[in-house]
Amino acid sequence: MRMTDAVITVAGVDAGYEHPVVRGISFEVFAGEVFVILGGSGCGKSTLLKHMIGLNPPLAGEIRLMGDRLFGGSQEERSRALRRFGVTYQSGALFGSMTLLENVCLPLEAFTDLPREARHLVAEMKLELVGLKAYAGYFPADISGGMKKRAAIARAMALDPRILFLDEPSAGLDPVTSAELDRLILRLRDTQGVTVVMVTHELASIFAVADRCIMLDKQTQRLIASGAPAELRAHAELPAVRAFFNREG
Amino acid sequence: MLISLPEACTADRVAALWRTTLPAVARLGGGDTLTLDAEAVAACDGAGEALIVELYRRSARQGFAIACRDGRGVVARTLGLFAVERFAEDPAAANPARNTSTAVQLGQAAVHIWQDACGQMAFLGEATVAAFTLLLRPGRLRLRDTLLHFERAGIDALPITLLIGFLLGLILAFMSATSMRQFGVEVYVADLIAIGLFRELGALITAIILAGRSGSAFAAEIGTMKVNEEVDALETFGLPPVVFLALPRVIAATLVMPLLTVFAIVAGLLGGALVVTSLGVPATTYWQHVVKATTLGNILLGLFKAAVFGLLVGLVGCSHGLQTGRTADAVGRAATAAVVGSLILITVFDGLFAVLFYVLGI
Ligand SMILES: Nc1ncnc2c1ncn2[C@@H]1O[C@H](COP(=O)(O)OP(=O)(O)OP(=O)(O)O)[C@@H](O)[C@H]1O
Ligand SMILES: [Mg+2]
Repeated sequence: MRMTDAVITVAGVDAGYEHPVVRGISFEVFAGEVFVILGGSGCGKSTLLKHMIGLNPPLAGEIRLMGDRLFGGSQEERSRALRRFGVTYQSGALFGSMTLLENVCLPLEAFTDLPREARHLVAEMKLELVGLKAYAGYFPADISGGMKKRAAIARAMALDPRILFLDEPSAGLDPVTSAELDRLILRLRDTQGVTVVMVTHELASIFAVADRCIMLDKQTQRLIASGAPAELRAHAELPAVRAFFNREG
Repeated sequence: MLISLPEACTADRVAALWRTTLPAVARLGGGDTLTLDAEAVAACDGAGEALIVELYRRSARQGFAIACRDGRGVVARTLGLFAVERFAEDPAAANPARNTSTAVQLGQAAVHIWQDACGQMAFLGEATVAAFTLLLRPGRLRLRDTLLHFERAGIDALPITLLIGFLLGLILAFMSATSMRQFGVEVYVADLIAIGLFRELGALITAIILAGRSGSAFAAEIGTMKVNEEVDALETFGLPPVVFLALPRVIAATLVMPLLTVFAIVAGLLGGALVVTSLGVPATTYWQHVVKATTLGNILLGLFKAAVFGLLVGLVGCSHGLQTGRTADAVGRAATAAVVGSLILITVFDGLFAVLFYVLGI
């Protein structure tokens, strides 16, 4: 099912706030791929993701989602690009005063003119996709951490985005729940055809889901490796990369 | 009847289709047949899938048959992904804790009010015990925090207290002067302002300012800590939140109120002086009347009331903070409840004091 054209192109991007955190990053993500961004804590993964979802403009370079720019183009181009993806944040960011159903309904209310019962049914079906339909009426405070991550994914999927950005979806989860989440990601990819870009530290998770990954490095402020995880484990030139994949200190 | 799904079966097309066709579908019954033509569908998103599930679940409920033309397998795929019978019941009923029947809600509200009252009493008890243990071991008080809250609730509130006190004196003098003038007794405006500010208004207006500025802040600060599980962390360290968080604030509020009240009263007297002297009464006469009307009893009474009001604001603010729920809007509700609760208690106690002092003849 892989197409040759890139869904996301990142070209020569310097990521950072006032000062660059990583420089000169270029890569492409293809349709139907699960693409993982790796690197040690503080190396700029979340920062890069913030540029890709349009929260902060990159310090240099250009990012296109299915051909549309989030920064530097027209307002229409930006809102077209914004409609193409869903995001889950490192901290979850479900709205605490709304039930899970209402959380998923929110983007549908804002961006479609579906009637109320239709919105509810769509939201329920998204919750069913992540296995939380029975908890539709619960508030985020009343469900577990892993359920919150899944609910956040359901909300990100509400508008059927072509791209899903996940920032550390399995952080703080036990290995079994984390593996369940991996299966959910693969199932969404296979049944809904989404392209997934995610940040994660979990080796098991990387080998389970990633088609390709890139690795950022804090010291050199560069992209130091890219390719399929198995390939990187076996053939990476840099010792730092091999150490990461083989869990050496 | 016939429903043809469009080539792009996405939210904007489905929204229109849903509105135009579903009322007609609602009239179908046993023996009818709905023809669902999905031959043209090339792309189908969540909204399209929802429409398909909706039609099938209505067919199950109303008893009509569906004849499906599904050459591309879109309908089969959707029904494979979402089992229609799983979507039969109302999702609002899914959370047993959320009941929408009026009687149940009424009962829940009553229980909630009762629990709230119990929570306040428990907090009052804990605070009292904590205060007594503090008397035995004063070293446990967080002196730095107390001073910090003293500064925030007191010194930072000085400008607004002075301004409102001044304006209050001005307004009071102006209102009473216009009627007293008819009898030629403008000088007694001074007595009225002095007695009014010392016995009643000085403490009251300062307490209202404190409730709005600091009572809400106490509740919001402690409430946010509660949401972030910082209060739980304190508890597991063996540091009771009441000693660690509430007492410094309550003590600061109680001590700062009399001081602030003095400032409010002085500002009010100055405001009165401005009006009275502009009416032609010499300033010395005004101040002579003020001094004569200001008995030691009046001063102590006002300051006592001020301290009690400060205690009330501190206690109510901290108790609502510690009883905050676990969501962001619970913090907002705690802050609101702290201000409302403080204002109610201040007025109630003010009334009680009025009766008490009348009976005691003070
Ligand atoms: N809002 C901000 N303003 C300025 N600098 C920031 C901001 N957020 C993060 N940084 C800095 O940017 C760098 C990269 O942070 P980032 O959050 O991207 O790390 P990360 O790779 O996601 O790490 P982790 O795996 O711990 O989440 C850090 O050095 C951090 O100090
Ligand atoms: Mg991060």
